[in-house]
Amino acid sequence: MEAEAVVEATDLEKAYGETVALSGASLSVAGGEVFALIGPNGAGKTTLVRALTGTTDPDSGSARVLGDAPAAIDRDRLGVLPQEFSPPDRLSARELLSYYAGLYDDPRDPDAVLADVGLADTGDTWYEDLSGGQQRRVCVGSTLVNDPDVLFLDEPTTGIDPAGRRTVWRLIEDLAAGGTTVVLTTHDMAEAERLADRVGLLADGSLVARGTPDELVRDHGGSSRLTVETAADLDAFADLEFPVGRPERGRLQGRTSESAVVVRDIAPAEIGTVVDYLEDRGLEYTGLSWAEPDLEDVYLALADRTELERTDSGGGEAADEAGADDITHAGETA
Amino acid sequence: MSRLRRIRAETSAGWRSFVRRRTAVFFTFFFPVILIVIFGALVRTDPTGEGLFTEPPAYYVPAYLAVVVLFTPLSRMGSEVARHREGNRFEKLATTPVTRGEWLLAQTLVNAVIIGLASVLILALVVVLTGAEIAFSPWLVPYILVGVVCFCGIGAMLGSYTDSQDGAIAASNAIGLPLLFLSETFISLEQLPGWFEPLVNVSPLTYFARGVRAATFPEAGTADVAGLEPAVANFAILAVLAVIAFGLGARSIPRTD
Repeated sequence: MEAEAVVEATDLEKAYGETVALSGASLSVAGGEVFALIGPNGAGKTTLVRALTGTTDPDSGSARVLGDAPAAIDRDRLGVLPQEFSPPDRLSARELLSYYAGLYDDPRDPDAVLADVGLADTGDTWYEDLSGGQQRRVCVGSTLVNDPDVLFLDEPTTGIDPAGRRTVWRLIEDLAAGGTTVVLTTHDMAEAERLADRVGLLADGSLVARGTPDELVRDHGGSSRLTVETAADLDAFADLEFPVGRPERGRLQGRTSESAVVVRDIAPAEIGTVVDYLEDRGLEYTGLSWAEPDLEDVYLALADRTELERTDSGGGEAADEAGADDITHAGETA
Repeated sequence: MSRLRRIRAETSAGWRSFVRRRTAVFFTFFFPVILIVIFGALVRTDPTGEGLFTEPPAYYVPAYLAVVVLFTPLSRMGSEVARHREGNRFEKLATTPVTRGEWLLAQTLVNAVIIGLASVLILALVVVLTGAEIAFSPWLVPYILVGVVCFCGIGAMLGSYTDSQDGAIAASNAIGLPLLFLSETFISLEQLPGWFEPLVNVSPLTYFARGVRAATFPEAGTADVAGLEPAVANFAILAVLAVIAFGLGARSIPRTD
């Protein structure tokens, strides 16, 4: 039996003038679940978060959080980190958390929150003097002062260095383990893959795919990928007929360097066959890497498909350009 | 208690943010001081002569106070609201228990303390530099407080309806400067064209100036209103306008995008 939904959206629509931000977006997030929203810039992620937290009014559709309409949510149970949030900058990190804690009836100790976000040693530093990553961690901390039951984080780790990002990730994992429901948006596929129980891909205001990261990869990620990096002219690779796998053709993929050839459907044991094949033809390569499909492949496949559909309906120039290229050159995005 | 706690937290954060901006603190106090020095000490008033400043120095006390009671809330609230909006702070606050009214009240309290201190400085300088003989009436305190409430409400509206901090400051100057000179502060009604009187009467600052003048300089002969003493009547009018401005100001603060 499916767990009871804590966050629900049904057919949300929102337009700003001619620009459609949400076009029938629906989702359901169960209690204690971490749900990651991914999607290109302008896909509607922030608008969806705003519609769920009551900071924008959708044109139609409905949303419920903790059983209430967004405008009626018990705010003591809610934590929200807006995108591009900039709190008062001449307060220290500790003062900022104390300030936000002061807005709630039963807040946590600000020093404990500082420690949670890994800033126990910088509590007395003014916000404006913190690094960009430290600032973002203070902002994340500001959402935790009331020990919320539901947490909305709009790009929580933007600008945070890898170590700080892992601190925030561990924090979110701990919160989820403690029963907090988390909805986050991110452009970092590794973040979504690590944190999310389920992922929803938003494109053009609609959720075009959702599921666990494994389900999405299985259904939309394609096959394994061998990337052959070369300093040579890519034209030399254009007409190759590899003995195993298939060179990726058609739509361009933005993955690694600008001088790489991608071969799909290849098992690790078959890599040697490709190496021999290249060497037999005197083709020099500078690196080989093999990878299973991951969430980034899903993102690129679905986001590209949506982009293609959009441009097709607008004349199809991008599709024509992609089709004109008969081999996939990683790094050259359409 | 929850409400008090939230207002205290907002007020404390607002006060600390203000006092840590040294330039803002300096000019908040320097602006009225320089006006007193220019008009009161350099230009000087001339009770027996011609020109704009023909009244005794004490007549202009409401005008000097109006500089801070009017300009400080307009510009500070306007830019504060714009700054909050640009930093998505209202989006954050809208998801906390604090209400728009509580937020505006906290900002108003911060302004009241700042303007209260500036007013003490102004009164002292006016007496010392211009030799004004004024009555230190207890009415001064409620007038300044209610004036701050009124203009904080208007400042919040300016910040809400302009699209940037620059826009808010420009709008506050554009509105504040005419109000400052055309609300029976520096220029009496007799010196203005007759058709101007209705405009003077819709300015909240007019009732501040008339009331403060009646309280601090009774010799000015401020007129009664509907049979009520001018200090009481003008205060009542200003208080009603302040409640309206505060309510509209709080309502104007963005809750959603």
